[in-house]
Amino acid sequence: MNRSSIIALLIFGAILGYFLSFGSETTRKFQSAVYQWLAPLFTTGSGLQKQITSVRTQLKSLDELEHENSSLQVENRQLRATNQALRDVEHEVNRLRHALNYRERSVFKLVPAEVVTRDSSTWWHTVTINRGKEDKIDSDMPVVTDEGLVGKTTTVSNTIAVVLLVTDENCKVAASVEGTREQGIVSGERVTGGLTPMLDLNFLTKQANLQPGQKAYTSGVGGVFPSGLLIGAVKTFRVRELDGQAKLAPSVDLTHLEDVFVVTGRK
Amino acid sequence: MIFFFILLVLVLIAQIAEFFIPTVDWMYHAHIYIVPVIVFYGAMALPFPLMLALALFAGILLDALTVQVIGAKVEISMGWSILLYAVLAGIMHGMRPLFIRGRWEVHCILSGVCTSAIILAQYLMITFRRGSILFTREVWWQIGGPGLIAMLMAPVVFWTLHWIGRITRYPYLPQGDHFE
Repeated sequence: MNRSSIIALLIFGAILGYFLSFGSETTRKFQSAVYQWLAPLFTTGSGLQKQITSVRTQLKSLDELEHENSSLQVENRQLRATNQALRDVEHEVNRLRHALNYRERSVFKLVPAEVVTRDSSTWWHTVTINRGKEDKIDSDMPVVTDEGLVGKTTTVSNTIAVVLLVTDENCKVAASVEGTREQGIVSGERVTGGLTPMLDLNFLTKQANLQPGQKAYTSGVGGVFPSGLLIGAVKTFRVRELDGQAKLAPSVDLTHLEDVFVVTGRK
Repeated sequence: MIFFFILLVLVLIAQIAEFFIPTVDWMYHAHIYIVPVIVFYGAMALPFPLMLALALFAGILLDALTVQVIGAKVEISMGWSILLYAVLAGIMHGMRPLFIRGRWEVHCILSGVCTSAIILAQYLMITFRRGSILFTREVWWQIGGPGLIAMLMAPVVFWTLHWIGRITRYPYLPQGDHFE
């Protein structure tokens, strides 16, 4: 090993030691700075992804039209394409109107946000949203849709925030089950086997005997999540050695999240 | 030196791109990782100090964008990915003589193995923190799947980087000067 390699190794060791000494607050600040620095790239990437998806969908529909209506004239195809574009706009308008209605009738102060990126790692379930400290978002704020609970914010930079999804094992939510006095803790699974991730509702009593379809709501215990937010519906219930455990299907389709709301307080 | 900076930019772009690449559903939602393949190519093509610098950059990016801070708890501390990248890149760097002779097959396979090793190490660390060791078929697929994909991607990525190296007249190219 030559001298330059030894010097490089020493410098590398020093920098590594510096990073390993980071505490939670320093890590959060560093992450926030990096996210802030990369925010324009994430936003551009998200826009590009939407355009690519849109083009792909349109090409597919044109392809289908060609097969189904090979005798149609060019003008007819153009009209159909225009019609498709208008339908997309209509869908968008309906979606936003739906979101706006929810925002108006909700008892919480909600900040609307758009999902920019999804998780890129295997073991953590997160998404990033296009709202941050500039919109008065802070860490540990609940994130919801009109269908129910999505998760909570963790790292927040000026214009972007990371949301830890309810399907992550680290996102623990105190829950109660409708029609019963049962209370437990909801957390995600470490590894998702099926197409839809499931939630575990732990620490129920052995006598709970929950039935499929019963809904679980946030109980408000713990301080992060306000009470009354729908988490999911019971799929199965089993008795374990010390407690009862229910499997829940999340109320929100987390694989197709587009618009969410950050709960900043009560109205 | 230009080639080194190009690799840094490519690592950054690949890290961002990974956020937008969908998972492979039939492989139990295995993720597609491009960054490790670029880093491992760099480990073979770059001299030792620059290899460490590349591993440092990739590790910092990975940690900054994926490490979870929940309350006052950091699940995997900042720096662990740097160490992982450096150790694995060091192993790849040790295979450099073979690379210089223009034999890349072993490196393509090793890229896949090392990609899986990163995910396995992450899994072991979070398992250690969260408790209850689980090694189901899904876990193995989520660890092995990205490795398999990286193995398949490696020849294309290596060929592209090799081509970029040739354009930038990078002097550390294999003597064979063509992709075998």
